[in-house]
Amino acid sequence: MNEILDKIKQKYNAEDVTVQRERLAFVTVAKDLAIDAVTWLRDYEGFSHFVMMSCVDWMEEGKFQLLYLLHNPDTKIDIGVKTYIDRENPVMESAHHLWKQIWTYQRELHEAFGIDFPGSPRVDENFVLEGWDDIPHMRREFNTKEYSEKTYFPRPGRKTYDPATYMQEKLYPNQPVTAKRKDNDK
Amino acid sequence: MNLKDILTPFTAWSRVVKDPVTIKDPLSREGAPRYRGFHDNDVETCIGCGTCEAICENEAIDLVPVEGIETKDGDSGLRPKIDYGRCCWCALCVDICTTNSLRLTNEFKWVDTDPDNFRFIPGVDEKDWYKKEEGWRKPEPNYHFYPQERVKMEELGPEERGDSFIEFVKGYSKEQAQQEADRCVECGICIGTCPAHMGIPEYIKAVRNDDMEEGLKILYETNPLPEICGRICTHKCETVCSVGVNGDPLSIRWLKRYIADQVPAEQYHEILDTKKIYKDDKKVAIIGAGPAGLSAAYYLSLLGHNVTIFEKLDKPGGMMRYGIPEYRLPYDQIDKDVNYILSLGVELKTNTTVDEEMFKKLQKDYDAVFVSTGLHLGRSTRIPGSDHEHVFQSIDLLRKITAGEEIMVPEKIVVIGGGNVAMDITRSLARLQRAKYGKVQIITTSLESEEEMPADREEVVEAREEGATIDPGWGPKEIEIVDGKIKGLHVVKVLSVFDEDHRFNPKFDENQKKFFEGDMIVESIGQAPDLSYIPKEIDEQLERGPRGRYLISEYNQTSVEWLFAGGDIVVGPDVIHGIADGHKAAVGIDNYLNSKK
Repeated sequence: MNEILDKIKQKYNAEDVTVQRERLAFVTVAKDLAIDAVTWLRDYEGFSHFVMMSCVDWMEEGKFQLLYLLHNPDTKIDIGVKTYIDRENPVMESAHHLWKQIWTYQRELHEAFGIDFPGSPRVDENFVLEGWDDIPHMRREFNTKEYSEKTYFPRPGRKTYDPATYMQEKLYPNQPVTAKRKDNDK
Repeated sequence: MNLKDILTPFTAWSRVVKDPVTIKDPLSREGAPRYRGFHDNDVETCIGCGTCEAICENEAIDLVPVEGIETKDGDSGLRPKIDYGRCCWCALCVDICTTNSLRLTNEFKWVDTDPDNFRFIPGVDEKDWYKKEEGWRKPEPNYHFYPQERVKMEELGPEERGDSFIEFVKGYSKEQAQQEADRCVECGICIGTCPAHMGIPEYIKAVRNDDMEEGLKILYETNPLPEICGRICTHKCETVCSVGVNGDPLSIRWLKRYIADQVPAEQYHEILDTKKIYKDDKKVAIIGAGPAGLSAAYYLSLLGHNVTIFEKLDKPGGMMRYGIPEYRLPYDQIDKDVNYILSLGVELKTNTTVDEEMFKKLQKDYDAVFVSTGLHLGRSTRIPGSDHEHVFQSIDLLRKITAGEEIMVPEKIVVIGGGNVAMDITRSLARLQRAKYGKVQIITTSLESEEEMPADREEVVEAREEGATIDPGWGPKEIEIVDGKIKGLHVVKVLSVFDEDHRFNPKFDENQKKFFEGDMIVESIGQAPDLSYIPKEIDEQLERGPRGRYLISEYNQTSVEWLFAGGDIVVGPDVIHGIADGHKAAVGIDNYLNSKK
């Protein structure tokens, strides 16, 4: 494990090297070198299996973090290659030529975060959200509650009580309620 | 349309006799150990704080009353009801849960034909999966959405404060206050428990938003003595704080102090919109300028009535000034709160003792009278020797210290009492001893054991830090006097203070004895009211409740309709109850005056 981490540090200037457990490690590589590093791991270091690809939204820092998780079936080692891309202009070099299933992952990330992977087949097509007309739903500024309020009808018969006002009414029925009321019929 | 289109619908009938394609649970596969499935709630631990509801992004949770679960201090009596039409199994409700009562089991399969069944109260409505231990719980330890520890309050150390009466609690900085305010989950469980029902979550929010004007407005809605309460309130609110169930409760008291400290007195009229108050022709007399009297005066003058306060002592404040030592509550802070109240047109007559005759005059000259004269008579142990001239009442000594009068400070002192007043006199005398002799030799003993002592825990700890010896669990037996001088106090071991019915009935072991050396003894075992100013014919009309206190309505009206009573003579004793009483009485008096029109 250490050997491969040393090599990737040397070759790709990998930073933030974290050994999560015995056979799992993560490295962070610059955007321009990330696909190179993944290709090198596949072709020269035996990481022939592509496990998955995902994204984390670091909204405050203005970045998306992409993760390519690879597996070496001989040594049973997993390495996650992470890279940061600009959140304002989220474009990443496509890796669909390395493993065909990356098409699907990139299509999903395009839908969920709005990241473009130029050249990736069918990347613009809907993934699961047919007819989606809002901002990408996994971006952290997407307001799930607001969306569900405007999209779905309220269920009849629901009622909730605000603990503070309810307690005052119950415990001091003859006194005015000072707590701000949050009760509502949903 | 061709023939196929016509025939196809009928071909479906051929499937009537076939086995159904969809069946219940084809695989009976268990969820993974940490799978997030249907909820369970330990309803005994849950306090119905509603934080789960507040965090739910999908509004899947309602808080509803549950039969058999009572609303009481620290428990709203409500419990979460989940709508599985909306739940997305994110488990944020579990991760934020203040009591760790809510969890998700790993049961994920449930087939039912009635959609309404998919709304239920976990832990109350019976479900098979409660017996499953596996599922998602809040990962422990160190997985918290808010810090478990409160922001530490900076204080002068025992060395720095030991011989001076300077305020030793420094107060929060802006950063500290905001950081502390950030821990609040805004459940509002505290509001019911606060005697004045202050808008606590709202003013904490104002601290978070750095909006001191808003904060001050919220404070004055229910409490016109925030500088004072921000320092010495008994903070019942903090004992029920939901964040305190697993961690330190919010520093509610210090946050209140923070708001009041930030706003200069000159801005109060502007912020609280009291530059001009229109007065009617109604006159109300208030006897006693303590927390209840001042609070009543404040709200009555906002309601447009003319208020006169009669105060026996030199300055207003009552027990807050003459009972609580300066190191806990500096006099200029009392003045800040009190002067604002007086600035609303309240007339204050100090050094004015109301006696029977004057009381009758007040009855004639005013439309209503509010009595809030507090408990200013010390109770004596009445043990042999307690009539010696060097046996003092703590309350008398505290009053003299405030007034700047000389008091006896010998090298060795014994204090009898385990409440906050006992700690106040212990710590005051310790300061005087250290200033005079450079060392502290004071022993404070109480009937109650260490655990039962009614004093606030921090008072006991701080008294010890300052050099006092606190030796609880002893019953005073006799004061030894040799040649007319006090030698000390004989005590015997206390086995229990209260009997099975929780009545005061101390039991002693006469064989276990101890002798506390001292040149002077201070008794601090409780106070009594002095109501001798109430004329006999009125006193006879006043109904009394338990422990001989005047029976009052929810708006503090006595059975004599123009007479209202509040503060320590009817509730408490503490400041915040007095403030709440004053507010209620003001509303009651206003109702009464309006009904007379």
